[in-house]
Amino acid sequence: MPDTAPQAAQEPPSLRTVALATATAFVLAAVILVTAVLPAEYGVDPLGTGAAFGLSALADTRPGVVAPATGSYRSDSAVFVLRPFEWIEYKYRLEEGAGMLFAWEATVPVRYDLHGEPNAGPEYAESFESADRQEGRGTFRAPFTGIHGWYWQNRTTSEVTIRLWTTGFYTAIHEFFEGGSTSRTLDDDRASGGDGS
Amino acid sequence: MAVAVWSALAGTALAHPMSEQNATFVQGLQGSAAAPFVYLGAKHMVTGYDHLLFLVGVVFFLYRLKDVVLYVSLFTLGHSVTLLAGVLGGIRVDAHLVDAVIGLSVVYKGFENIGGFERLLGFRPDTRMAVLMFGLVHGLGLATKLQEFALSKDGLVTNLLGFNLGVEVGQILALAFVVLALAYWRRHAGFARWALVTNSLLVSAGFVLAGHQLAGYVLAG
Repeated sequence: MPDTAPQAAQEPPSLRTVALATATAFVLAAVILVTAVLPAEYGVDPLGTGAAFGLSALADTRPGVVAPATGSYRSDSAVFVLRPFEWIEYKYRLEEGAGMLFAWEATVPVRYDLHGEPNAGPEYAESFESADRQEGRGTFRAPFTGIHGWYWQNRTTSEVTIRLWTTGFYTAIHEFFEGGSTSRTLDDDRASGGDGS
Repeated sequence: MAVAVWSALAGTALAHPMSEQNATFVQGLQGSAAAPFVYLGAKHMVTGYDHLLFLVGVVFFLYRLKDVVLYVSLFTLGHSVTLLAGVLGGIRVDAHLVDAVIGLSVVYKGFENIGGFERLLGFRPDTRMAVLMFGLVHGLGLATKLQEFALSKDGLVTNLLGFNLGVEVGQILALAFVVLALAYWRRHAGFARWALVTNSLLVSAGFVLAGHQLAGYVLAG
């Protein structure tokens, strides 16, 4: 590659050219800002161009605020008493995208794992959060259709009580414990699920 | 045309926020994870159009690889100092203001490239100092954004150093293409004439970036 002259060797444009170029650049930027960026980003539309081109709609959109759900609205609560080193799994069947509000608390910190199992493979589980904690609360949105919920383990030498409250668009409840499991399909009405204690 | 392109680019309030997925990862992290942070640092540079515009301005008239590496390293040095000091010292600056300065840094480089300072002031400010200064500002902006996440203290320095290494790697990757394209273009007769137009467009884009962020500062607070 031949060495071409660096900028220093070239004569820079005249002051008039520089001024003209800079002024043009500034005016172009101002036009773009006022006619497009401000309406689209902030809904500020001094010239009415945002409304004319439909750009203002971008500023009004807040994705993820409202997510319509199918299925019945349900609430559930459960109490688990775990003996030393005993564990339990409590899960809800949720469609992809369905949401659930949850809160749980334990009398002492417990090992927990919030995870989901897709319908296709019961052997496969994906963990979303895992730690030793005494409580948890939040909003869960199912990343895939399947059963989603908690594994709790008492890693102390005394009894632990765990309480769970949920509200969401689930259709069934599955419980797994040492040596067995239970499943309940929830009735298709607005009644809340039973107390799982 | 420019309007359509700009609208497509400016999809978000901040010039380039971290993706939700990456933010969740950073927040959930315990301990050192240098490799993911190198990746995030590189991604930050390669996908940040404000950074890319600034870099195009910086290398526009550089044609030796040695010079390119020097300028990029100066930027990384500035960036590293304020990112580390900012996060470790808990220093926060409004993200809109930092992004506005980043926009103005694009204006500065474009204006310098059209010979504005030589004509206006009679001399050219030392570009190396300017690049270092803007590196410091860029790092401060990122330090502010990173502190919005609950970062684990565990392995924090390792992760931040990894991020800075990624910034350097990302710049070199992005610049490899820019430098090649410019080197090819420079051999053609139209370069000098179009250099004026290109750098004027850089100035304009910088003004739009700065205006976007200043409006965000005033309106969204």
